[in-house]
Amino acid sequence: MIPIVFFGTTITFVILRMGPIDPAAAVIGASGDTEAYQSVRRSLGLDQPLWLQYVDYLRDLFTLQFGYSWVVNRGRPVWELIGVYAPRTIWLGFWSVMLPLFVGLPLGFYAGLNPNTLSDYVASFGGIVWRAMPNFWLAVIFVAVLTQSEQLFGFQWESWLVETNIVTPPDLSELWVPRNFLGAFKAILPAALVLGSASMGNEMRIGRTAVLETKNENYVETARAKGVPGRKIVYKHVFRNALIPLVPIITGEAFLLLGGSVLVETVFSINGLGYLFYAATINADLPLVGSLMFFFILLSVGINIVQDLLYTLIDPRVGYGGEGA
Amino acid sequence: MSVVDDEDATLRERLTDEPGPALRVFAVVAALVAVEFGALANLVMSLPWDAVGTALPGFVQGVAATLAGVGDALAGLPTLLSRSVIDNAGYQLPSGEWEGTFMGLSPAIAWAIRVVLIYAYGFVWLLVGWWSYLVYRDNYRHANWAPVDDMVGRFRNHSWGLFGLAIIFAFVVLAVFAPALGPTTVDANIADPYLHSIEFYNEETGSVEEMYVGDANGDSQSRGQGGENVGPLSYDQYDRFHPFGTLPSGKDLFTFMAAGARVSLFIGVASLALAGGAAVVFALATAYYKGLVDLGIVITSDSIQAMPQLLVIMLASFVLSGTWLANLYNGGVVLALLFGLTGWPGLWRAVRGPALQVSEREWIDAAKSFGQRPSVTMRKHMLPYVVGYLLIYASLTLGGVIIGVAGLSFLGLGINAPTPEWGRAVSAGQPYVATPSWHISLLPGILIVIVVTGFNALGDGIRDAIDPQSDVDTGQQDQSAAAGGGA
Amino acid sequence: MAADSSRPDADAGTATEAADDRLLEVENLQTVFHTERETIRAVDGISFGIAEGETLGLVGESGSGKSVTARSIMGLVDSPGELLPDSSIRFDGRELTGLSEKQYERVRGGGVAMVFQDPLSTLNPVYTVGNQIEEALSLHRGLSGMDATEKAIELLEDVGIPDAARRVSEYPHEFSGGMRQRAVIAMALACDPDLLICDEPTTALDVTIQAQILELLAELQEEHGLAILFITHDMGVIAEVCDRVAVMYAGEVVEQAPVVELFENPRHPYTRGLLRSIPSTQRGADRLETIEGEVPTPNAPATDCRFAPRCPEAFDACREVHPEPVPVAAETADEGADHSAACLLYPENETRGQAVERHTSEGETTGAGAADSGGDAR
Repeated sequence: MIPIVFFGTTITFVILRMGPIDPAAAVIGASGDTEAYQSVRRSLGLDQPLWLQYVDYLRDLFTLQFGYSWVVNRGRPVWELIGVYAPRTIWLGFWSVMLPLFVGLPLGFYAGLNPNTLSDYVASFGGIVWRAMPNFWLAVIFVAVLTQSEQLFGFQWESWLVETNIVTPPDLSELWVPRNFLGAFKAILPAALVLGSASMGNEMRIGRTAVLETKNENYVETARAKGVPGRKIVYKHVFRNALIPLVPIITGEAFLLLGGSVLVETVFSINGLGYLFYAATINADLPLVGSLMFFFILLSVGINIVQDLLYTLIDPRVGYGGEGA
Repeated sequence: MSVVDDEDATLRERLTDEPGPALRVFAVVAALVAVEFGALANLVMSLPWDAVGTALPGFVQGVAATLAGVGDALAGLPTLLSRSVIDNAGYQLPSGEWEGTFMGLSPAIAWAIRVVLIYAYGFVWLLVGWWSYLVYRDNYRHANWAPVDDMVGRFRNHSWGLFGLAIIFAFVVLAVFAPALGPTTVDANIADPYLHSIEFYNEETGSVEEMYVGDANGDSQSRGQGGENVGPLSYDQYDRFHPFGTLPSGKDLFTFMAAGARVSLFIGVASLALAGGAAVVFALATAYYKGLVDLGIVITSDSIQAMPQLLVIMLASFVLSGTWLANLYNGGVVLALLFGLTGWPGLWRAVRGPALQVSEREWIDAAKSFGQRPSVTMRKHMLPYVVGYLLIYASLTLGGVIIGVAGLSFLGLGINAPTPEWGRAVSAGQPYVATPSWHISLLPGILIVIVVTGFNALGDGIRDAIDPQSDVDTGQQDQSAAAGGGA
Repeated sequence: MAADSSRPDADAGTATEAADDRLLEVENLQTVFHTERETIRAVDGISFGIAEGETLGLVGESGSGKSVTARSIMGLVDSPGELLPDSSIRFDGRELTGLSEKQYERVRGGGVAMVFQDPLSTLNPVYTVGNQIEEALSLHRGLSGMDATEKAIELLEDVGIPDAARRVSEYPHEFSGGMRQRAVIAMALACDPDLLICDEPTTALDVTIQAQILELLAELQEEHGLAILFITHDMGVIAEVCDRVAVMYAGEVVEQAPVVELFENPRHPYTRGLLRSIPSTQRGADRLETIEGEVPTPNAPATDCRFAPRCPEAFDACREVHPEPVPVAAETADEGADHSAACLLYPENETRGQAVERHTSEGETTGAGAADSGGDAR
């Protein structure tokens, strides 16, 4: 784990500093004031040898001193920025993982249990198309459709149930109040659907295959031979085993959301971490960029750990060498 | 008796012994190339050779420039299925007749005819490819049967895979013959609209007039409600046919998309060649040497994979913007490099399994035991087993690259103007989705969905053809492919 | 390899009298599989029966249809396979063919239980062994909770698994091969069946373990009064455990007899070939005897003898007339021992011509002219 984090941050450093971007120029802007420029260079430590800067960079990151934003929100500590922007991304990410899980997986399981029927074909075809959809495009369409929901469907999305705006960060205050929760959920719903669309399609497809294969396993036949009723066979014997190959898929999807969130957050104006990264990048706000990337790397390592945990929960064979899945 | 059956005869000997069938194939290929030589030369010249050019030392640059000049001249050669032969630019007289178009047909029909003919031409190439495989197999390959024959046979019966192949075929033809397939050219309509002009019939004055394309574009904008819109399959007021409608700037969307197909295909193929090449080399190396080599590459690839691909590319492409590298193909080369560099870990992971499996076989040990050089062992004994799986994952990943590039362009961080790219069209049309100008955003998206589905289908087909009972778990790769690294 | 004829259960009486009272009565079972190209007649009109407490061995090479027979009895044959309408399987007086899935569920386990070949893949890897045994207990004996666990431990002890209390909460991959198969048997017993079908239960195990399992089965049979249908390709195992034997070839039963009778007086040329080709009976031979050729895959109703191409004693009629099971003179002391063979050479007291006519006419009455009736079932 450690070498990976180390290596990843090094690569980030290389990209950031080896590129032609001049951090001091980014801070100063185009004013061209040489003295100010020099003083900024000194204050940023840019006049030190590169390897020294590298060491400082690593040391700061590993001690979780993320520094201050240079451009995007000048002078504000990065930690604070993360604190403000992260919850929205977490809310978005959470539902983007849950929705495919509770919609895509069951659909896939259903298709696997009833293969080659009309519903299977419809669901599978839907899954295939859904997988191929670029999520930014889907986001654009959703926004347009929802804005015009009155003309198209006869009811206005914004005022339906709870009053929310379509293109805005969700209000995450006091989620324990049901009305607030519903509002926050409704606000994030289109974005989560979009972001989770590819995952949904994929999980559907893989779930279907997993169920098909599990159905033909010997232990399922044994259970039938014992006289176990059909439904119980499906819920007890098939599902849990079919979940095993799905674990890496689900966690992998979670990881991919990090990147994809940029596009969706931009379209839906959810000011989350992805959007923050994008803003930081185009403004050459190096501390912000570097810290965020470090944060993302930690997240991905974390997701890997979660994946291993899930494996041990679902499959008792894990950890017993040879006799794996 | 026959040289073909002699195992020791080289391919050349076999060819010279029985040249008939091969010569026939060559003749047909030569005819096909001659007919469209200009278009093919144009394709070659459209690649970003400047990259190579600037890297060469001075004295060679002179030669390179001459070559470039020759290439451009060749690209200007007349071709059969081009706009000059089957023209769809003309104007309509009050009498209803069309002037200037192919055989006086309406521009829509003339364009349609040209499109059909070009696709037919492409289809002929497919048939020739199939035919040459058969000729090789029946006449020049000394093995009566090879595993590849079974794979081909299975693929032929795989409807889903064939469907994918058809879509990819359509896409490739679109990219290769983009200049000829559009109702007008990128140069004339998009890049330098004020250097070109069109003729039209002015009803007020009752005469044929000329105006700049740029001005004509200005009058053909699609900006949703409140008036102007030129939708799909319609003419603008200057009798120009727009199969996909126009952009908010008035430029023709189909020409934009066709040229964009070229860029997408280039980036997709180039990045995958890079990533795939690296992945195969590393996979063979780790499978052969194992130990430290494996450990080192595992750490490297995990570190690269720990960073969200799209974000890294965003960052790197921004960092590199403004450099000479970024100007090649308006960012195309940079993106190809970046997708390749961030994409190889995924591919390597995927083919590592098969490579390890084959390295456990006895014949690898046997080869090692009599002192076979590692590179030869890897190439002859291990590579053929890995290539098939690489193809599967590559085709699945290609879709993801296309989505990724479109997503980046959508944000403005991908391919820059004026080189067309599908993502930019989506972004340009974003404000108009719920208006009559819905086509600007919707059509590129629909095309992306179709092309990516095609690549996914092709990958599925190849997987079933290679080993119908295989347990190939494309799950991990699928999701990253489908999600375009997050796009 | 001498058959153990002193087994208390091998009453000659149970085999002959009141065949209708037997626990399991299979008549003219035909199971086919529809593939794209052809219809495979995996089981093509077999008949046999098992009485209570009896062990019937079903022996044959791979592809003879033994496993399909077992699954047909259990109702586990799914599309694209099906049982043809003429088939009859009567268990405990009740006709099983034609039962719905739900009705069959009630027969499975409690009536007929099955032990499969590979114990590792037979047990669900994500649940403990105890869990899976208790599942059966809850279904068939109505036990749950602590009662079920206690009973499960008891069953594990019954099948000879040491330290059963600890084992009951372990997972299948933590058991060794032999123990796994014992656990599977325990699971089958938990269902409290009347008939136990064992499909090659020892094939995947070491020889020493094999012996232990066979011993275990014999004990359990005595204790619980089980009837057993024992499927195997190993003649040695047959000799150890079975009371009666049915020999299958290419989807048909070619010979049926009590075990001692079969070994001492094999009638059908195939059975003879099988017994001859056991290596240990050929001590001192230069070359091992084999039966040349391969078992055919029947894709059309039988109109002749399927073994004829490989049979050293085949004659012309063998390729034209389908042999039916006919009684054969027994040599062992058990009078009334029921020995039948489906071969045109028998009954041996008739001339060839008479025998052929008899087979032909019997064939017509039992509808072996299946070409007309069941053969076209799609």
